[in-house]
Amino acid sequence: MSLTVEELVKFIDHTRLKPETKRAKILELCEEALAYEFATVCINPVHVEYAIDLLKNSSVDVCVVVGFPLGATLSEVKAFETKQAVQKGATEVDMVINIGALKDKNYDLVQSDIKAVVSAADDAIVKVILETGFLIDEEKQKACLICKDAGAHFVKTSTGFGPMGATPYDVRLMRETVGPDMGVKAAGGIRSFKDALRMIDAGANRLGTSSGVAIVEGFRWAGYSDTFLEPDKPCWTCPSRQASLGKQPKEVYLWYKQRCVTCPHRDQNVFND
Amino acid sequence: MTDEVSQSYSDTKLLRISLTNQTVKQQELTPELFTYYLGGRGLGVKLVYDQVIPAISPLAPENLLVFAIGPLTASSAPTGGRVAVITKSPLTGTIFDSNCGGHFGPQLRRAGYAALVLQGRAKSPTYLWINDGDVEFRSAKDVWGQEVSSSTDYLLDETNAKAQVACIGPGGENRVSLAAIMNDKHRAAGRGGVGAVMGAKHLKAIVIHGTKQISINDPEKLDLVVNRTRRLIKKDSITNNSLPVYGTAVLVNLINEYGMLPTYNFQEGTFNDAEGVSGEKLLERFFTKRYHCFGCPIGCGRISQVQGTEVGGPEYETIWALGPQCGINNLEWITTANHRCNELGLDTISVGSTIGCAMELMQKGYLQSTHEFGKTAELLNLIDDIAHVRGLGKELGQGSKALATRYNAPQLAMQVKGLEMPAYDPRGVQGHALAYATSNRGGCHLRAYLIGPEILGSPVLVDRDRVEGKAGLVILFQNLSAAMDSLVLCRFTTFAFSVEDYADLLSAATSLTISGKEFLKIGERIWTLERLFNIREGFSAKDDCLPPRFSTPLPEGGSRNRVSHLEEMLPEYYRLRGWDKTGQPTKSCLKQLNL
Repeated sequence: MSLTVEELVKFIDHTRLKPETKRAKILELCEEALAYEFATVCINPVHVEYAIDLLKNSSVDVCVVVGFPLGATLSEVKAFETKQAVQKGATEVDMVINIGALKDKNYDLVQSDIKAVVSAADDAIVKVILETGFLIDEEKQKACLICKDAGAHFVKTSTGFGPMGATPYDVRLMRETVGPDMGVKAAGGIRSFKDALRMIDAGANRLGTSSGVAIVEGFRWAGYSDTFLEPDKPCWTCPSRQASLGKQPKEVYLWYKQRCVTCPHRDQNVFND
Repeated sequence: MTDEVSQSYSDTKLLRISLTNQTVKQQELTPELFTYYLGGRGLGVKLVYDQVIPAISPLAPENLLVFAIGPLTASSAPTGGRVAVITKSPLTGTIFDSNCGGHFGPQLRRAGYAALVLQGRAKSPTYLWINDGDVEFRSAKDVWGQEVSSSTDYLLDETNAKAQVACIGPGGENRVSLAAIMNDKHRAAGRGGVGAVMGAKHLKAIVIHGTKQISINDPEKLDLVVNRTRRLIKKDSITNNSLPVYGTAVLVNLINEYGMLPTYNFQEGTFNDAEGVSGEKLLERFFTKRYHCFGCPIGCGRISQVQGTEVGGPEYETIWALGPQCGINNLEWITTANHRCNELGLDTISVGSTIGCAMELMQKGYLQSTHEFGKTAELLNLIDDIAHVRGLGKELGQGSKALATRYNAPQLAMQVKGLEMPAYDPRGVQGHALAYATSNRGGCHLRAYLIGPEILGSPVLVDRDRVEGKAGLVILFQNLSAAMDSLVLCRFTTFAFSVEDYADLLSAATSLTISGKEFLKIGERIWTLERLFNIREGFSAKDDCLPPRFSTPLPEGGSRNRVSHLEEMLPEYYRLRGWDKTGQPTKSCLKQLNL
């Protein structure tokens, strides 16, 4: 993959979503976004006005999260949160899907929830976070199709607060499901330029990460050795390796682990690599 | 790259000092020396290569001892406070540079010198008092035989309390091959026996006080680059969190988890009591405050308190060498032993590793001794004996290679080219194994710190078991280290910086406009010149090897069943270096590097 630093930065939503975030951190985030010319800063709605002020007259947009991180609030509340944020200047909205309804196969509720946000967002871009760590493949695919039908602009893998981060496997699955015209955002656990390039290679056209600076700075090393970009052992990036009984529903955990049984790379799955 | 020599850096001179004649002579830093070798390690290597007679004894008066700073020393560049000491090593017989933090380097620069080039031997114990360009040879008879702290305090009383002291302890005075040169009492140019070379010259100390302003070619540009690089240090989790909070000892638990914490003289890779000697435990039990070298925003140094006394350290390598390497789990004792080594002016890595070697020699029946793995009894006395060349200590003071050879078990010395290997079992990291074997100064983790990419994921995680591509990666980091050591900046900056950042700092501080690739080329030139020195001294490809132990799998832990695959990587390493199959640089390689 040939990618310049200037192209890489435009993939990145420079993200700070920790609950204890102070204004000084938002200032730092925005200054970095300006310096590196990232696509957006991704923040909690409470900081939107401050960020808008800091980023005015720049190419960096403001993205807010809605119904975050559980996705379990009322559609009306998500819509209200969206409307308020957009009125204050946010141009991108990352909402969390109604995960419980999806697991219940209550697809109408899932879709109406997304539609409410899309409607409230007006012209703003809407990305829908699936929180893939709670889902098996069929549920991810179904969620992608619902998002597409509901008029969302992107599907997004994870909140960063759930049981799994983004994996190339999930990104590829989502890209194949939504096709080339819809956005796919990878988020959660993207910490190095190698992670970033793997996601882009799998089909992501936006990356949510709090390690944007490290990714770009690290990317400068890639020009000095091809070894940095050598393929990893398959298990390193497989969602089944990340599966955790402590964080996931039992049936989801077992679904992931069942894949290992028939995996051709099973011999390489050693604990201490 | 422009050929114009930096006006800002060439205002410093080379100071040639004859200890035999007690004369000094200033020389210009020529454009060739600066543009091809920068300063620090590169400058020292060039001087030693050109001026040390081949095959000479490292302890002979004719051997050079060079203290060199670089173009970023005493500037606002992060970590720009280090000094390089370059000589022919009495421990390895190779060319050797030993790098020291603290505050000595900036005083040297402010006194107006890029390097002190010491030669000859004083008739009686001497120290140098360098005060803003004035040089005095003074008698050291009142401090000869004294330990490092008392020597330092005495010399500061005699000169100027604001001066800096680089001195040797009894170890250096007695020409022990494990002797260090100490600065700020507990910062060491530790490895390779550089302290013995100083002792052989009857030079107890250099006391230096410099107050001149240094000039920077483009102060505004340097401010910009410095602000950027300091921000990068603040953004990196290793330089902003791990190292400041726990010091380098943060590695104990991590490396143990990977099954690479050498235990019982590298017989095992997992130490059951690692938690008890970890950085976390050091923080809980003995830590009192952080120590920052000059201009360092990281502050990885530790000041600890044991038995009511404040002492420096210990660092990760020291904890390992005096701890797990010898089977010792007593952190209080390790901290005390580290302090004793500092006071005696001894390299903690080589001392601990050689004691571990002696313990295995005893365990296997080669050596009659009471020093068993895990037992601290009488070990502090043994360390004292090393420095004072007494009893078994006299044998240990020549290093593990000489010790194990003497007892007909050379395979039990965990060394490369005579230098004791540090705290990472190479079986668990293939690239790092190659870095050990090909290091120009012997078993060293700092010539190419592949632990960064292979374990810490800096700048990105690569498969530690793969051998493909590792030769190129080792060469990249060897060249970068050589160039960085010539600036002279701390190795820990590589966690946060990219190659271009070093080039940008250099370009801003001097008039040498340079790209990242050109910066690496300078490092390659220095590396190759070191190789030429070693070849001239009789070293060859057969010395690019590891002890046979590393062909035997580790029995358990996170690196179990692993062995080193050095032979698979070496041919590629030589080819990429432009060397022939015997490890000799080819003519075209030398021509390309202007050598």
